Amino acid sequence: MLKDISLGRYYSGNSIFHELDPRIKVVMFFTYMVTIFTVNKWQAMVLFSVITIAQIVIAKLPLKVIISSIMPVVPIALFIALLNMLTIREGRTLFEWNIIVITLGGTRKAILMASRLILLIISTSVLLTLTTTPLKLSDALEKLFAPLKVIKMPVHEMAMMMSIALRFIPTLVEETDRIMKAQVSRGADYDTGTIIARTKGYITVIIPLFISAFKRAEELATAMDARCYRGGEGRTKLNPLHLTSKDWIIGAILLVLAALVLVLQVINV
Amino acid sequence: MKQIEVKEASFAYMQDDDANRIALNGVSLEIEQGDYIAILGPNGSGKSTLAKLLNNIELPTKGDVFVFGINTKNEDGFWDIRSKCACVFQNPDNQIVGTTVEEDIAFGPENLGIPNPELRQIVDASMKYVGLEKYATKQTANLSGGQKQKLAIAGALAMNPSIIIMDESTSMLDPNSRDEVLTLVEKLRHEKQITVITITHDMYEASRCDRVYVMYHGEIKKVGKPSSIFLERDKMLELGLDCPSHINLAHRIAKITHSKLTQEDLVSEETCAKRIIEMVKNAEFDDVKSYLKPDKNIQEVEPSKTIMQIENLSYSYDGDFKAIEDVSLDVREGEILAIIGQSGCGKTTLITHLNALIRPQEGSVTLICSNMNLSTAEKKHIKLLRQEVGLVFQYPEYQLFEETVYKDVAFGIKKMKLEPEEERRRVLEAIKLVGLKEDILEGSPFELSGGQKRRVALAGVLVMRPKVLVLDEPASGLDPRGRQGMLRIIESLKATGVTIILVSHYMDEVAEYADRICCMKDGKVIMLGSSTEIFEDIDKVEQMGIKVSRLNMFMRLMLKYNSSINPNVRSVEDAVRQLINTKGVELC
Repeated sequence: MLKDISLGRYYSGNSIFHELDPRIKVVMFFTYMVTIFTVNKWQAMVLFSVITIAQIVIAKLPLKVIISSIMPVVPIALFIALLNMLTIREGRTLFEWNIIVITLGGTRKAILMASRLILLIISTSVLLTLTTTPLKLSDALEKLFAPLKVIKMPVHEMAMMMSIALRFIPTLVEETDRIMKAQVSRGADYDTGTIIARTKGYITVIIPLFISAFKRAEELATAMDARCYRGGEGRTKLNPLHLTSKDWIIGAILLVLAALVLVLQVINV
Repeated sequence: MKQIEVKEASFAYMQDDDANRIALNGVSLEIEQGDYIAILGPNGSGKSTLAKLLNNIELPTKGDVFVFGINTKNEDGFWDIRSKCACVFQNPDNQIVGTTVEEDIAFGPENLGIPNPELRQIVDASMKYVGLEKYATKQTANLSGGQKQKLAIAGALAMNPSIIIMDESTSMLDPNSRDEVLTLVEKLRHEKQITVITITHDMYEASRCDRVYVMYHGEIKKVGKPSSIFLERDKMLELGLDCPSHINLAHRIAKITHSKLTQEDLVSEETCAKRIIEMVKNAEFDDVKSYLKPDKNIQEVEPSKTIMQIENLSYSYDGDFKAIEDVSLDVREGEILAIIGQSGCGKTTLITHLNALIRPQEGSVTLICSNMNLSTAEKKHIKLLRQEVGLVFQYPEYQLFEETVYKDVAFGIKKMKLEPEEERRRVLEAIKLVGLKEDILEGSPFELSGGQKRRVALAGVLVMRPKVLVLDEPASGLDPRGRQGMLRIIESLKATGVTIILVSHYMDEVAEYADRICCMKDGKVIMLGSSTEIFEDIDKVEQMGIKVSRLNMFMRLMLKYNSSINPNVRSVEDAVRQLINTKGVELC
C-alpha cells in the first residue's frame, strides 16, 4: 500500500536513460513539463503520448513499475477531471439533470487535464525519478544552479538536503506503515467515521512520525559529522558528471521531439 | 605515545532549565594502538557520550582528550582525529547517507577530498572487504539490517581509520548478522591492526575483548581484563549488568560446590569449561535440593485448550513471493508460545494476521474463545477482536503520542466510553502490570527513559485486557536490567492467565520461559513442539539455520571433556541439573 509510492524510488537498470547525464535529464524534464502544459490539441497530445511510451520502452521500465508510480495521482487526476466536467459549460450539452450539466467542452477539458497530469507523472518518472539515483539528481541540480553561488545561494547544502530527503522517503514510508499498524492494533480507526474524526485520527500517526524523524535527523547529523562532512568545499565525487558526445546527441533528439509536439500544436492540421 | 588518552574528562548536556545533565564525570583512560576494548554500562551511564568525545563530535566541558597525541580542543587537529577515528552507530538506517551502496561508502572519502581514480579503488576495496560487492549499485533502503551495518563498516573502512568505535552496532541485529558483524570487526583488528572500541550490552561480546571498562552514572567504576571483571559477578549485577551465560554457569557451580573461581578460570570458554568439569568432579552432592533453584514453571498445555487456531495460512504481498506459506499452528490457553526465526522468515507477517491487520489470503485464522473466523469476520467484530488479541510491535515506544502517560495508556479504551472511574481503574491496573508507579501518569511520555517508554506502550495494549498478547522482540535494544525487567513482566502476565505469543530471533531469550516453541524459516513452520521436545532435537533446529543459544554452544564445548553431558539445556539452572546428573545423583 504506502510502500508503492514511487517518488524517490530508483529502479536500477542499464538503459540509455539510466546512463544519460542527469543535467540533460533535468533540463529535458523542464522542457517536457512546459510542453505538456502548452499543448491542448489532441494531435499534439497523441504525439506526446507516443514519445512517452517510446521513452518507457527505451528505458526498459516494466509496466508494473510505471503503473505503481501513476496510481497515487489517479485520484487527484479524477478529481480534477470531475471538477472540470462539472464547472465548465462550453459547446453542446451532453447530459443534464438538476444542476448537473455536462457539456462537450467540459468533457474535453476534463480529459485533457487528467491526461496531462498522468503524462506529466510518467514523463517525470521516466526522465528523472525512476532512472536517476537521488544523489545523481542532486549532483545535477547542484551543478546546474552553481552560478547562483555568486549571489550567496547555499546551492550545495540545498542539493544535499534534497538527496537526504529522497534517501529517507522509503524509510519514513515504512515507518508510517508500522506506526499505523501499531495504532490500529490499539483501536485507532482511519477508515470509518466523519472526515473530522479521521483527520483527528491521523494525529496518532503524525506525532510519532515527527518525533522519530527528528531523532533520525539528529542521529544522521552525528553520523555525517563522524564521516567528516563539512559542506561542499573540497569535496570530490565518486561518479563525477561527464558530458559525452552521446549525452549531447540524446539531449538533442529529446529536444527535437519536444519541438515536434509544439509544432503540431501551433500549425493547423 | 598512547593512541588515546582521556584525562579527567567531564561532559554535561546543556538543558533548558539551567540544571545541566552531567553525562560524564572525571573519566580517565588510556588506549594503545590495536587494543580491543569493550565499554559496558547500563543505559544512561555515559558510554555514548564518551564515544562522542573520542571522535571529536563533542568537546569535554572539563579535562582533556588526546587522540594520536593531539588535544581534541586543538582546532588544527580536528579533521585528522575525525578521519582516523571512525564510528559505527546503533541504528542502521540513521547512518546511511547514500542511496546506493557505493555512493554511501564513498561519502567519507569524498568529504576528505580524495580524487579519482584513488577514490574508486578505495570504495571497491572496502566494499569487497565486507562482502557487499554484489550490491554496489543497489539501493541502500532495500538491504537487510545486517547488510546495512556491514555497509556502515565499509563506509568507516573507506576512510582508512586507525580506530573504529562500535556504538551498540549489533544490538538491532538478528543472531546470524550479529555474529557476522562481530567476525568482521575482529578480522579488521587482526588484519589491519585497527583499534576496536565496542560499546555493548552483550556480555559475551565483551568477554572476547582485551580490556573492559565498566561505566555507571558517568564514571568508570571498573577496568580490567574480562576475566577479572566477570569474576566479580555480584558487583556486575549491582551495576545493572550481567555476565556471559557460561560465566554465570561457572559462578553457579562454584557456589553449590563451595569452590573458588580464579581469574585464570575465566580467561576463555575452554578454561571455563575445564574448571566447571573439575568442580563438578571433585564435589560431593549430598544435599542437592537445598541449593537447586526451582526451574521456571514451564509445561505443555493440553491441545484441548486451544484458544486460537491457524490453518494452512499463506500470504503474499506481491502475488509472487510468499511471505508465509502453509502455516498451521495452534495457540493454547495460558501458555507462552515462542516463535523463533531469522529476520525475514515471516514472523511479522504471521503475527499481523492474528489481530486481522491483514486478512488471510489462503487458509484461516480462528479465535476459538469468541468463535470468530478472521477471514470472514465483519469490521465491527474485528474491533472487538483487537481488544482480545493485543499486538505489541517491536520498539513500541515509537507509537506514543499523547500529552500525558494517562491519556496515552487510555487511548485503547477511549472508544468503549467507560465510566471515568472504571477507565482510571483499568489504566492503573495496566500501569501496575508493567511495573510502573502511579506518579508518572500525569507526566509526558516523552520525558521518560527508553525502558519506561516501552513499558508505557505495553500498558497501552494491556489496558484493553487482551486474552492473547503478541509481543514482537519485547526486549530488543534494552540493557541487561531492562531486559530482565521485561522478562519478569512477561512471567507475571502469564501468571494472570494471559496467553502470550513471544516472537524473537534469539533462542537465548525465549528458552527459559517458553512452554512451546515454533521455529520458522522462509515463511514455513519447520518445527513445533514443547520446549523440552525442541531442545531434545536442537541439532535439527540448528541444521535448519536457527542459531542455538550461546549456552548450548558452551555445553557442546564441555562435551569434549565429559561426553556424558547432555548439552541441550534451556537455562543456566537446567545446565546445573545436567551437570549434577553426570555424577549419578538422584534428582527428583
